[in-house]
Amino acid sequence: MAIDTGFLVNIGFYVSIAIIFAILALGFNLQWGYTGLFNAGIAGFFLIGAYVAAIAITAPAPRVIIGGVTVYPGHLGGFQLPLVVGALLAMVASGTAAALVALPTVRLRADYLAIATLAFAEIVRIFAINLESVTGGTIGIIGIPRPIAFDPPNPFLTMVTIVGLGAAILLAVFLALQFISESPWGRVLRAIREDEEATMALGKNAFRFKLQAFALGGALMGLAGALFAVTLLYLEPSVSFAPSVTFSVWVMVIVGGWGSHRGAIVGAFLIYGLEWLSVQLKDFAPAVLKDSIFYIRLMLIGVLLILLVVYRPEGILPEKKRILR
Amino acid sequence: MLERLYSTRLRRQLVLAFVVAVIAVALFGILSVLFGVTILQYALAGFVVSSIVIVAAIGLTLLYGIRGFANFAYGDLMTLGAYIALFVALNLSVSVVWAALVAFGTLAVIGVFLEVLIFSRLEGRGPVPPIVASVGLALIIQNGIRAVATTQQWNYPVPAIQEIPIVAGLGIHPIRGIATLAAGMSFMLSAHILLKYTNLGKAMRATADNLELAKATGIDTKRVTYAAWAVSCSFASTAGVLLGLGTVVNPTMGFQVLLLTFAAVIVGGIGSPYGAMMGGLVIGLSQEMSVPLLLWLGQPDVIGLEHATAYKVAIPFMIMIAVLLVRPWGIAGRPPAFVRRVFILETAARALRSRSLPSRQEEGGGG
Repeated sequence: MAIDTGFLVNIGFYVSIAIIFAILALGFNLQWGYTGLFNAGIAGFFLIGAYVAAIAITAPAPRVIIGGVTVYPGHLGGFQLPLVVGALLAMVASGTAAALVALPTVRLRADYLAIATLAFAEIVRIFAINLESVTGGTIGIIGIPRPIAFDPPNPFLTMVTIVGLGAAILLAVFLALQFISESPWGRVLRAIREDEEATMALGKNAFRFKLQAFALGGALMGLAGALFAVTLLYLEPSVSFAPSVTFSVWVMVIVGGWGSHRGAIVGAFLIYGLEWLSVQLKDFAPAVLKDSIFYIRLMLIGVLLILLVVYRPEGILPEKKRILR
Repeated sequence: MLERLYSTRLRRQLVLAFVVAVIAVALFGILSVLFGVTILQYALAGFVVSSIVIVAAIGLTLLYGIRGFANFAYGDLMTLGAYIALFVALNLSVSVVWAALVAFGTLAVIGVFLEVLIFSRLEGRGPVPPIVASVGLALIIQNGIRAVATTQQWNYPVPAIQEIPIVAGLGIHPIRGIATLAAGMSFMLSAHILLKYTNLGKAMRATADNLELAKATGIDTKRVTYAAWAVSCSFASTAGVLLGLGTVVNPTMGFQVLLLTFAAVIVGGIGSPYGAMMGGLVIGLSQEMSVPLLLWLGQPDVIGLEHATAYKVAIPFMIMIAVLLVRPWGIAGRPPAFVRRVFILETAARALRSRSLPSRQEEGGGG
């Protein structure tokens, strides 16, 4: 009995990428929804996580020279560490980067942090494109090993492992965040968001809490990057980590309702679902729209951002109002 | 009248300007003696980039001061201005100067519309909602241009002119060099005249300083806001045209210099047009003057950094971070009332005190 698994693999791809966006959205929600720290450089932390994990787990990639011309610059690597270690390293690297970016700006108004993080993400991308001996340049990193190598190669089973792995990580992150946000630490974060001065007057070091929350959010983005590396099996710097990734995550969190973990996940599946549908429907689109459907999709994200922020800033699944007793 | 003009402040500014000019001339003199004339070519490129960044930064900081939000769509408004000028220049076959003027006016109208349609609804909701809306606007403009005009690169219809040599190894292009520098100068001057000598400019400065106080003194802040949008967006269009003249017109040209512009605005102090001028100069010069250093780093026997000059865009960012650490209100900005003291000295004094005294208990613990 032969089942056509092509369609299921396609659906599986959607789910696995949506899970990655959901983890990104959860990280951003912790930073912005919980603590009020507006991160405009999500793509940068995502990139750092993806590259660190990829470099940690791939086989050595030497420079390829054919006829005196460098065809592939090669990249740092050959450590062949297990995926778990790669993911942990990715989290540490992204978390540290987030803390370093936040250090000078987190004391200042939200827009300083936004500008600094946006600039940071672009700088990181410039390094990923140009620092060829480490990152493989514009070609990027290829040949990232699958979590489980099936023999003979089986796309369906590979997709099942990826989706299963992603779902397990997403569930773990979600439960951990639910726990954290009800803990005293999470309460302090919400208090800082609502009234920083009052929180400081109660003896809490707001700066330290903000730094911790921002670093933890960054680490989650690094984890999403590691998952992205083993899902796609190759990394290239110019499209996957463009600023539009950051803006998509914003839409997801705003649609879901900021401050709500469930909302962030729902928003990620919804918005990435729209993006995925636009790619699936490309073949059915009229010839005039065919070439520009990608741009029209990004324009729609822009329209959605403006409409949501003007008319429905609380999203569709907003954080429940907490009543003081 | 003369007494008012020749105030202590003006005298101090003149002395300061003179000192800065002498230092700059001496610095470039020493540099050219040490490294040859090519260093002056990089300095010239720096001044050209500066004049574009300054035009953009004045517009950005003006709106930032009055409306209190970071306009992330500013880079794409520059792109829009460049494309409108391109469209006019190609289709009506007029000179680029007239096309730039048309773009200037169009963008001013668009700016007022943006305030009425979107941003006036977000007033008083903190800095983040307008940032999100402006990013939405940026996505619409950038991808709208891609969908309509394709991602192809365009050039303005200007005659091909050779560089004018000054001395051997140092030349200046009539359009990319002289015209850009002149445009930058004239925009700086017109911003100065607008802000210092017109009622509108004075109202703008008052509103940027303190909105409530400006309202209380009878300034029509609504009108000032519209004017700020118009001025800001029209400056964006001119910066876009200058950028397009210097390189090419493509859909991401504005977004690429947005960070440079933000760096100039922050280095100069948010909301301060004079700061934006200084910040733009610092940013543009440091970016271009870092090229020889990066080239040196790129030599195989030094570090062998690949594509070394691509990192020049990281230099303004580093300067911005340094300014945020030491003087977050910028070179020319006014520090908020509660920190109006010498920040560095105070930090240093505190560090010294904590070292000399036996360590006291740290104030304000964590959890």
